[in-house]
Amino acid sequence: MLTCLRGGHVVDPANGVDGVRDVYFEDGRVVAATAGRKPDAEYNAAGHIVMAGAIDIHSHIAGGGVNTARLLLPETHRGHRPRPSGAPLSTAGWSTFETGRLYAQMGYTTVIEPAISAHHALHAHLELADIPIIDKGFLTVLGNDDFLLQALRRRESPAAVADYVAATLEATRALGVKCVNAGGAEAFKENVRSFALDDVVPQYGLSSRQIFQTLQQAVVATKIRHPLHLHMNNLGLPGNVETALATIDASQGLPLHLAHVQFYSYGKEGKNGFSSAAAQFAEKIAANKNVTVDVGQVMFADIVTISSDVLRQYNSLGAARPKKGVIFDGDHNGAGVLPYSYRVSDFFNAVQWAAGLELFLLIDDPTRVFFTTDHPNGAPFTTYPEVFALLMSADMRAQWLSRLPAEVLELTNLPSIKREYTFYEIATMTRAAPAHLYGFEDRGQLGPGAVADVAVYKLQSNRAGMFRNAAYVFKDGELVVRDGVVERYSFGKTLRVRPEYDRAIDQRLDAYYDDLYGLPRSLFEVSDAALPRSYAFAEVACRS
Amino acid sequence: MTDASLDGRSIPREDAYAHAARILGAAHFPLVAGLGADVAGARAAILLAERLRGAFDHLASRDALADLDVLRSSSMFVTTPNEARLRSDFILLVGAGLSSYWPAMFDRLALHEPPRFGAQSRRRALWIGPKRGEAHIDGVDIDTIAAASHELPGVLAALRARVGGRPVALGDAATKKLDAHASAMKAAQFGVAVWAAENLDALTIEMLCGLVADLNAATRFTGVPIGARSGATGVVQASGWMTGFPPRTGFGRGYPEHDTWRFDARRLVDSNEADAALWISAYDGEPPPWRRADLPLVTLAAAGAKADGRGVFITVGCPGRDHDAVDFAQETSSLVLRKASAPSKLPSVADAIGAIGARFSEDVPC
Ligand SMILES: [Zn+2]
Repeated sequence: MLTCLRGGHVVDPANGVDGVRDVYFEDGRVVAATAGRKPDAEYNAAGHIVMAGAIDIHSHIAGGGVNTARLLLPETHRGHRPRPSGAPLSTAGWSTFETGRLYAQMGYTTVIEPAISAHHALHAHLELADIPIIDKGFLTVLGNDDFLLQALRRRESPAAVADYVAATLEATRALGVKCVNAGGAEAFKENVRSFALDDVVPQYGLSSRQIFQTLQQAVVATKIRHPLHLHMNNLGLPGNVETALATIDASQGLPLHLAHVQFYSYGKEGKNGFSSAAAQFAEKIAANKNVTVDVGQVMFADIVTISSDVLRQYNSLGAARPKKGVIFDGDHNGAGVLPYSYRVSDFFNAVQWAAGLELFLLIDDPTRVFFTTDHPNGAPFTTYPEVFALLMSADMRAQWLSRLPAEVLELTNLPSIKREYTFYEIATMTRAAPAHLYGFEDRGQLGPGAVADVAVYKLQSNRAGMFRNAAYVFKDGELVVRDGVVERYSFGKTLRVRPEYDRAIDQRLDAYYDDLYGLPRSLFEVSDAALPRSYAFAEVACRS
Repeated sequence: MTDASLDGRSIPREDAYAHAARILGAAHFPLVAGLGADVAGARAAILLAERLRGAFDHLASRDALADLDVLRSSSMFVTTPNEARLRSDFILLVGAGLSSYWPAMFDRLALHEPPRFGAQSRRRALWIGPKRGEAHIDGVDIDTIAAASHELPGVLAALRARVGGRPVALGDAATKKLDAHASAMKAAQFGVAVWAAENLDALTIEMLCGLVADLNAATRFTGVPIGARSGATGVVQASGWMTGFPPRTGFGRGYPEHDTWRFDARRLVDSNEADAALWISAYDGEPPPWRRADLPLVTLAAAGAKADGRGVFITVGCPGRDHDAVDFAQETSSLVLRKASAPSKLPSVADAIGAIGARFSEDVPC
């Protein structure tokens, strides 16, 4: 069936397109304009902005930590309305089913969960299997694992480390590697309470710097497309921009993605010893082209922090709002889940909000700064439309700034920044650049051959309203959303990589599990028999 | 001999599915209970409850909710049995009969071996409230504090007070003994508390978790809860991601509402609020807890379950024995695949619910 979106303003930065034209797709793929063939279905897109489906590069949507948060906070996500027929559980607050529906309504068609423990990979896949409509995938967390740390301590070859990383990606069916406060979770088990870039993991004698650098090299060696996704040390602490700058200096010129950098853009100025250092950070990022970042924008809302940075989460326990939480010492990893509330009247929260927007606005290159709220850590993903609106309007920012505590204005550059994002820049940041960051050849763009994941927004001056309820969303060429309402309830695919590696590492790992745990390694591997029959993977090719 | 019956008479399984669909499809507020199932079975059952605008509960919800109560109101430190095995230098066991709730516990924790990580010293253990003669593990020094189950919160509160250096209303000798235990716990480098909610109330668990949290002020201490029976932990997980809530959740208004009192299966039946039930007990055929005998009932249970001759009974396979199944593994604290140990042709819970769901009349929404 040939479908035509007629007369919309197409914004497709990957193909350099920014103007009125028709978009055709057939059998789930974008096709070139077809002279002489009458489309089987036609949608009038005049007065609309047409973009590829958006890609969220970092959003905690599945897995043990997210599920713990649901169970921890029953009071925050009550449902309020019955679900439409044919869309089971799609109004169940904060369920997997609702997650897929809400993302689709905003025109998002691919979302990546960034932090899954290797031993909880099956759980994560089972949750992803219940997220409808969108495609998804996850990053596996490494960097506190005894096998890796032992290999580093023994100075094993880079090839052996790369084989281990590849074998873990294969066993967990993941899309890439995240490293969280490298060594910090292991150090916390040894009662270490703060852990910086050059602090050393007890028993192993390895610094955080060494661990992340080794993983960075190993990820390059596996030829997977996504660079090491790094959650740095000292998250949230005053003055931690120094950590961020030092981490960039340590990045060896190799590709590196720094996660939710807003949480690392703090100076120590002012009477509270807490200020925005976003300008300094943005300059550093601009000068280091091997580095990409996502922002992790804070918005004023009740949220829950879900983080594998267990040491940091432990230290935040006393500041939880309300006072409760879970601290998990996992196998080679950790996690903490704590509720929190960002308040416009709270000096620190207001600085965080401003610093995030500064980063967005001061980093000129939208191919290297990614749009995230680190859902739900900075804000729920449902606030994205408001964040887009803030990026696109200096006036709107001025209105918001007028509500902040007065002393905040002196500790951020935000009031003086007049830049307004264009649709082209928004599309770059949420479509073209994410596809590049993950090596997706077939999405984030509308060129012939691309997956027909398309978002169509009715042009209106209320930008938040425009992005909240897409006029049309097509997934694999099928209309799934009309006027902000899900019409068709389908299930997408899970994206994974399958790097080549020397299978000898599998035998070593089998023996390691037998010896250490007295359990077969296969118990932790994701196998087809454990997954619903309808669950489908799509492979993202490695670099050749 | 078929694997299905209606009011005690054997009938073909296909007929049993049709009868089950009639019973559940005709109900105004059906209850899906027991829920002793693997993750696929729980998933199918919860979707069925939603489709029928009924409610669902698990047969061990009391126990699972005792832990969740504490989670939802204060802080909880947890770890995996692997970490307890490899790293703990101190084990705090709380309550009687722990190894009956987790028979492989002492094998898995391997306390007689020195830890592989961390302190790597001989392990110490303290068991509060063991059964008589229970507190013996070869190769491990175990101290005990005798306590009946109702005394546990008091003992834990006193220990917690002494860990925090606060006074307790006990005699000198008793305080001195308590102080020795408190010092031993504070001297641990990575202590692990083990408990089974099946045997404790929420107050005890809250006190224990508070003690563990307090110990973290100066050292590392965490916990390993022993999950409730009949797959409860896995069911809670699936229920969590599907609805946002644990079992004892209803869909009467078309969206999930969680209320531990309102959607208690026994109460819903005995109060006549539920007008039909699907009882699921695939692991061991545990019977329903309610008294009411006239409730239209569909039972999916393991072979050998004692069918009391009422309603539709369909034998289903035991997860991990008759068929491959994903459920929560106590030994890893995670969802794992259990390959069938004795594969059979019996349907799984998910199969049976699928077959029932395919036979609803057209006025049941999809
Ligand atoms: Zn994150």
